[in-house]
Amino acid sequence: MPWKLLWRNVVGHPVRSLLTVGAVAVAVFLVCVLNAVTSGLTRTLDAAAANRLLVQSAVSLFVDLPLSYQQKMASVPGIEAICKWQWFGGRYEQDKGGFFAQFGIDPETFLPSYPEMKITKGSYDDFKKLRTACVVGDELADKYGWQVGQTVPISGTIFQRTDGRPWEFTVAAIYRSSSPAVDNQTLWFQFDYLRESLEQGGATGPLGVGVYMLRMAPGTDPVAVQQAVDAMFENGPQRVQTTTEAEFNRQFISMLGDVPTLLQMIGGAVLFAIFFAVLNTMLMAGRERTRDLGVMKALGFTDRATGMLLVAESLLLCGLGAAAGIGVGLLAEAPFAVATASFLPGFGFDEGTLLLGAAIAVGVGLVAGVLPGRRAARLTAIAALREVG
Amino acid sequence: MAEAIQLRSVTKAYQRAGESLRVLDELDLTMAGGTFYALMGPSGSGKTTLLNLVGGLDHADSGAVLVGDVDLTRLDGGELAAWRAGNVGFVFQGFNLLPVLTARENVELPLQLTPLSRRQRRAQAERALQLVGLGDRMDHKPRELSGGQEQRVAIARAIATDPQVILADEPTGDLDRTTADAVLQLLQRLNRELGKTILMVTHDPQAAGYADKIIHLDKGKLGRIETNPGRG
Amino acid sequence: MALVPLRYNLRSLFVRSSATALTVCAIGATVAVLAGMLSLQQGFATLFQERGRADVAVFLRKGATSEGESGLTREQCDILTKEVPEVERSGNGAPLASAELFLAVRLRKFDGGETNVAIRGVEPLSFAVQGDDLRVVEGRRFEPASDELIVGEGLLDRIANCRVGDVLRINTVTFRIVGTFAGKGGYRSEIWGDLDRLGKALERPVASRVIAKVREGTDFAAITERYASDLRVQPKAQSEREYLKSQTGDLSKRFTLLGGFLAVIMGIGAIFTGTNSLLGTISARSHEIGILKAVGYRPFAIFASFLFEAVLLGVLGGLAGCLLVLPFQGAETGTMNQTFSEVTFAFRTTPAVMLDAVAFAAALGLFGGMMPAWRAARMTPTKALRRT
Repeated sequence: MPWKLLWRNVVGHPVRSLLTVGAVAVAVFLVCVLNAVTSGLTRTLDAAAANRLLVQSAVSLFVDLPLSYQQKMASVPGIEAICKWQWFGGRYEQDKGGFFAQFGIDPETFLPSYPEMKITKGSYDDFKKLRTACVVGDELADKYGWQVGQTVPISGTIFQRTDGRPWEFTVAAIYRSSSPAVDNQTLWFQFDYLRESLEQGGATGPLGVGVYMLRMAPGTDPVAVQQAVDAMFENGPQRVQTTTEAEFNRQFISMLGDVPTLLQMIGGAVLFAIFFAVLNTMLMAGRERTRDLGVMKALGFTDRATGMLLVAESLLLCGLGAAAGIGVGLLAEAPFAVATASFLPGFGFDEGTLLLGAAIAVGVGLVAGVLPGRRAARLTAIAALREVG
Repeated sequence: MAEAIQLRSVTKAYQRAGESLRVLDELDLTMAGGTFYALMGPSGSGKTTLLNLVGGLDHADSGAVLVGDVDLTRLDGGELAAWRAGNVGFVFQGFNLLPVLTARENVELPLQLTPLSRRQRRAQAERALQLVGLGDRMDHKPRELSGGQEQRVAIARAIATDPQVILADEPTGDLDRTTADAVLQLLQRLNRELGKTILMVTHDPQAAGYADKIIHLDKGKLGRIETNPGRG
Repeated sequence: MALVPLRYNLRSLFVRSSATALTVCAIGATVAVLAGMLSLQQGFATLFQERGRADVAVFLRKGATSEGESGLTREQCDILTKEVPEVERSGNGAPLASAELFLAVRLRKFDGGETNVAIRGVEPLSFAVQGDDLRVVEGRRFEPASDELIVGEGLLDRIANCRVGDVLRINTVTFRIVGTFAGKGGYRSEIWGDLDRLGKALERPVASRVIAKVREGTDFAAITERYASDLRVQPKAQSEREYLKSQTGDLSKRFTLLGGFLAVIMGIGAIFTGTNSLLGTISARSHEIGILKAVGYRPFAIFASFLFEAVLLGVLGGLAGCLLVLPFQGAETGTMNQTFSEVTFAFRTTPAVMLDAVAFAAALGLFGGMMPAWRAARMTPTKALRRT
């Protein structure tokens, strides 16, 4: 195989080669990003802890459970700790258009149940001591420049203060989660602060609990706990649905609509486009080089070798493009993950995504190279040389 | 002694507009090894077809084409390619150098089909280029060379693998008189000093004058064979 | 100044038909993605806007951005229905207004799994407010104060236990389906029942909003203003049209953003492809360019000619892209809206979408053609005529 000729053919048409490599790079980048989204969603499910169950209303996502349920569930054997979760749905005063989640939780049981969360600044004990304190994710703190000790004003939508002013939470600690099961852009505050405000007339809104998290003792059968809890409230006042953390996350992900199918269709269109682009380049290259191919055959190169020359060139262009696309993707990965964390958890390139990028390059390169390659192989030297270049 | 070329009752026809056109008709021709032949005849007389058959680029419909003791009509496509790589060198009217390769790389190209090492290939390519007088232009691309220089690179490529037979199709067709003479003298030298068998298709009587013998073809039949005065 | 005849370009595209076809396909796939996203966005936007009326008022609690977030006590609802003078009255003097309860409930889908379906508890006058926009197509309306429901026809093929005669359990209460209704926009993906009965079943004593037919030319901001310091109720009044527009905003923006992001990135790839194809054309036709120049065409004429060919290539790609998405026309899909309930909407490739897509494709061609056309224009006749 005349490797030098292969390389020179690529370098000899710098514009065309660069454009083709560029087109492949764009496609591989896009497919990798799309794949990172879907695989991120799956990874979030896989990262769900097995020892945590979630209890929510069986009727609707938007119906709260009574506070009294906590006491009753505590009697179910195998439950080690219970933590309330209440969705707050507030808007940050300084960035009304932006969005991040806030939840009221029980400080005593929250952090011990989520070992994947590590406090990086401040102290969790301070959070427990101060009623109006909050813990925020490091990405959120970076985004708004929040420091430990600072007060963050959040205006309520579901829960409004009767004095008409925004809620104020003091940042006591900043955390970092190592698992996609918990994102790094959430604000956690004391549920009791919300409860006391509602009970004492400082705020209006429904008093209840969106979700109870149950942490099971090691060796507990989750199905037994699920059935026991569901049966306990079968006759109301609110029926409940107890699910594993993975199932709970799946429900939220399915709310994005049929995202995976949409992304796959887009990915298909991208592949379609790129295949035609590379095929076009290679057909042009093959046609333009007809005479060269004829000369090579006259010199004694076999049909196979001349055909392979075009296939190899196609593979080379696609390989370079894939490398560039994956490279750009890796550079863009971190900022992209931060930007999408609030609605697409777990965005990130894994081996599967990178392999997919490489597979696309090889696949497109091969298929797009074979057509002109076959033509080159079938060409007779005489016909090729007769062609006006 | 270089190998002789023998055509025995060779017929070659092309289909054109539904009609079968006999380009070569039961042609018998024997050419001696180590001789410089010019092949002349009007357009359509079958000159290039004959050259292609001898070079193993085309198959005869019937008859036998022997170069040395190899019958080319018995070889398949792959075998013909392998045979061409070691036994025959081509020189074309349009030079047909690969534009992306330098002069040296163009000459090295057929050597890649031999078991020679990288270094040997390089040395042999340089020897061939020096032989054609282009030792100082080895790293130039074809577009940086004049027409005469391009053709000399093509000749160096044709002799790089040291084949016994060189086939040239109108090698001076695109060149001016002076340059053409230089190229023809080069071919003559290859014949005389290295003993190559050369078969050159040409329209130009002056070019034919450099050959030892002139074969005339007409409508696929052999015409007379002249011997240039003072040679033989 | 003499321009190169256009038929040169047409013939060139035709002669090099395989390169043309491949480029058209590559551009077409790009355009299809853009057109597809725009069609989804259109479908979603029309879903909400087609039923948005200017003479219907929507009252939410102050600070709430959707019915899902809003909550009004029954007393507050009474104040709004009875006291607001802009509200029209029916023949017997009753205000044409109704409190409504809205909740997205979990229901089982036919394909397994659960989804959130909007359930709406209404008072009898809701039907009067909606007028002809809502009609029962099968069975009958639910009886007031009974455990009966009617189902929007958009749900019939997606949600289990929703046919007339079926029984649906909501929390601890069993409801009977007595009718199916057709409605505009998002209503056709809802389930309706009696306000009080649903409130009881769901343990929700508060309503979500008040809806009212108001007089022509009502100033909604003025109503909000009037109650700004009322201690009993502080509503946010909007026309239905305004309210629905605010509901589509986010998702609509997301479709446009995603479509834009993909179109830009894929567009870069398509420009590369177009440039490549045209460079191929030019190198194959350099002889012809040399002749054109030799007979006296100006560089600008050559530039314009190739640029035109590029735009033509782009437009063909745009048309191909539209052809690729047209088969999806009218296909229904579901998504979660702002209130996290599932709505079905159709893929709508409108003429405006196609126009946008073709314009985008023409722009791709223009950008892709710039460099090759420039190169062709600068070619000297001698160089162009030289055989390669």
